[in-house]
Amino acid sequence: MHGVKRVRYSREALEAKKQKEQAKLKEYLSLNDDVLAKRNAGDWSKDAFDLTTRVLHANAEFYTVWNYRRDILINSIFPNSSPSEVHDRIGDELSVTTSLLKQHPKVYGIWNHRRWCLANIPDGPSDTDLDGWRKTIWNKELYVVEKMLDADARNFHAWNYRRYVLANMPMKRPAQAELVYTTRKIEANFSNFSAWHQRSKVLTSLWEGGQLDPHKSKEEEFDLVKNAMYTDPGDQSVWIYHRWLVGAGNAYDILQREIASIQELLDEQPDSKWCMESLVFYKRLLLRHHARQLSEADRLSLTQECLRLLTGLQDIDPNRRQRYEDLAADVKKIN
Amino acid sequence: MDVDAVVLGSGLTESIAAAALSKAGYKVAHLDVNPYYGGDNASLTADELVSWADERAAAGPSNPSYASAQRTKFTSISRSGSTLPQSRQYSISLSPAIIPSVGPLIDALIASGVSRYGGFKLLEKVAIYTGPGSVKPVPGSKEDVFKSKELSLLDKRRLMRFLMFAAGDFEGKKEFEGKEHTPFVQFLHQVFSLDGQTAAAIAYALAFCVSAAEPTLPALQRIRKYLRSTGRYGPSPFLVGHYGGLGEIAQGFCRTAAVSGAAYILAHNVFSIEIPSQSEEGRKYKIILEGLDESLTCDLLIASSGYPLPEFPRAVTNDSTDNESSNIHPIARAIVVVDRPLSFSSPEVPPASTASDAEGADTEEEEQTPQKQELDTALLVFPPSSLEGGSSVAVASVLVTGEGSISAPKGKWVLYLSLPLLEQTTRSAEALLRPYVDATLSLTVPDSASPTSTQPLFTLFYIEHPDLPPSSSAASESQIPSILAPLRSSTLLPEQADSATTNAETLFWKAVSALKAAGRRPKRRTGEGEEEGEEEVEVEGFWPPLDIVDDPEEDW
Repeated sequence: MHGVKRVRYSREALEAKKQKEQAKLKEYLSLNDDVLAKRNAGDWSKDAFDLTTRVLHANAEFYTVWNYRRDILINSIFPNSSPSEVHDRIGDELSVTTSLLKQHPKVYGIWNHRRWCLANIPDGPSDTDLDGWRKTIWNKELYVVEKMLDADARNFHAWNYRRYVLANMPMKRPAQAELVYTTRKIEANFSNFSAWHQRSKVLTSLWEGGQLDPHKSKEEEFDLVKNAMYTDPGDQSVWIYHRWLVGAGNAYDILQREIASIQELLDEQPDSKWCMESLVFYKRLLLRHHARQLSEADRLSLTQECLRLLTGLQDIDPNRRQRYEDLAADVKKIN
Repeated sequence: MDVDAVVLGSGLTESIAAAALSKAGYKVAHLDVNPYYGGDNASLTADELVSWADERAAAGPSNPSYASAQRTKFTSISRSGSTLPQSRQYSISLSPAIIPSVGPLIDALIASGVSRYGGFKLLEKVAIYTGPGSVKPVPGSKEDVFKSKELSLLDKRRLMRFLMFAAGDFEGKKEFEGKEHTPFVQFLHQVFSLDGQTAAAIAYALAFCVSAAEPTLPALQRIRKYLRSTGRYGPSPFLVGHYGGLGEIAQGFCRTAAVSGAAYILAHNVFSIEIPSQSEEGRKYKIILEGLDESLTCDLLIASSGYPLPEFPRAVTNDSTDNESSNIHPIARAIVVVDRPLSFSSPEVPPASTASDAEGADTEEEEQTPQKQELDTALLVFPPSSLEGGSSVAVASVLVTGEGSISAPKGKWVLYLSLPLLEQTTRSAEALLRPYVDATLSLTVPDSASPTSTQPLFTLFYIEHPDLPPSSSAASESQIPSILAPLRSSTLLPEQADSATTNAETLFWKAVSALKAAGRRPKRRTGEGEEEGEEEVEVEGFWPPLDIVDDPEEDW
């Protein structure tokens, strides 16, 4: 971290650490040989199962051993267990993955094992309540994903898993609740593509399902995104969301209003590349979709403005100079 | 007892220096006339605080002594007659402070290993007082700015632009050119179009200026330090130490000094310091303590200018090399204990329809943040002229610490008020601070059982005067013992701890070269058992390398 001094350790301390690491390495290599030997021999005993636990704690990415572990569960442990025992075993498996996820939040194998667990919950607890166990465990999953996203709001594994849980849980939650969740995540740190993306998915479903008035809701969204824009005009995720809100640009009034708003921001912050780029994009939308509502003079001045902005962009963002030149050529050709 | 250096007084600076010298391999004896560690930075129980106050308020002889020096340093003392039950569960600090997460003290805590001895609480909230019953949160991060319902869009942009500027290398920027001495508030207005409450929040609750006249450069330097401290341990840049903060930290450094071989003698006064006529191990000084037969011999004496010694009036000068002298004023202080929490609730309405629809349907969603969020560890800043009856020139601050900082029992909070006295005044500490106390108490959360206004359980008022600047003379040939004194620490709430640390480091190096001139080098133990001996080593750094690598990996 910036400004933090490195801590100095004595030579003896570093030597001692190195010795410890060598010992650990030796132990791991022998574990590795051991577990693969057992697997190749088709060993599905309890000892083999415990061995997979040790190996996975040392190396959670070892997907071969995850598969081996599941083989033992399916072929040896589950067939010899009552539904209640299977249920407990699934609970234990989930606990193991939870503790591993805390240290390794982005390992595919661990998330994958969780999905497998969820898919293998037995019917129960009783004949009259066949879904009870499933409901409890799936509900808890959402809580676990929330903890993971609290720790790292941009972990796409967690967001994907969240969507998987929301879509498949026996007792579905209202989409409104998910909207509130994305609001919370965005307020905590709006530099988060995943949160905005989730929000766009939820809103789409709410609009199509008739649960939210799209018009009013969009106005609130424009207000939210404008606050983000003014707070940090350099954050790309905000502009991407804005672009999604504007959509095809069919609403003339909205387009004009947003252009004016971005222009105000550009006046306050003249070096903002995203303002300039967005203005070009939206003005071109105007020219493309609303040519009939514009006078000849308006169309001409819009074109001039686009060209002027693109020239400015070449200075501010020289890495993409060629792109802006191409865009300018495009503008000139069409208009 | 024969040592290399004797350190007098166990305030934070002296304790850090004692620890560094001891760990470097010097033999150190560390003395304090008080029966507790920490000196003027100490953490005291409630009963100890009452004794402390009464001793200094009582009249006494004016012959030079520690007691009379303390009576000069702490004046205008008044307190409520009440006693606090559960006295030992309080750790009340004589020098309340907040510690930036990136800075010299944190570095020293880690490098010395003292970080293992103590715990810290992150400051929860900072707010400024804007009127009766009205308090505004201080936005210190992008999230705060984004969420704020108070700032206009343009204000948000301007504030963010300023924060980005302040967090970067502003020294070369054209906005800054020629403006180092401009008053900071004016700078904010001229260059960033920031006014009113936003500018006040930046100047007084982010940069911690004590008045509107403070110049831009030091204010910007402070803001940058604090901005770079956010995120290291949490959203706030500041930590508050457990058990009363600096006193406990000083004690931690003393402990590590003792582990490295330093000898500790508390509760004994220095009777005399002599130049030994015949060489006792070739040492320069011999110290005799009251009530102890054994004397101490050493080559170096270290004591702050506030620690007077009998028969040796300390030389003082108007030394302009004393750092940050502009930030050293008398301070009016109050310590108030209450049994109701404070709340900085902003008049925000809970979010509209979308949330409340979802709430009912969704039982697992976290609770909405309560309208009145009770605070455990927080800071309230009163800008100049914000309070009727308060100062129109200086900024007052109130540090709230509750159970979470392990300095008060459950259900009790200790409030530390401080007001720098920038102008001469004859008013008492109580008269100066009463309006602030009342305004702060009006922010407590009323108890539904007894909705009357909050009465404090205990109050103490006093004025703390700065120590005189130390002299820079090193009279090695004269008969008067030459005492090495650290520079005085800044009295600013977020600066005191780091200032004490950098002063301790300067003191350490001066001590090393003074001891070298006296022919003394630090020694380290070598060999084991029969071959044990000592070898002389060189001092490589402020702290020696750590002997254990902290390994967070678990075993599998």
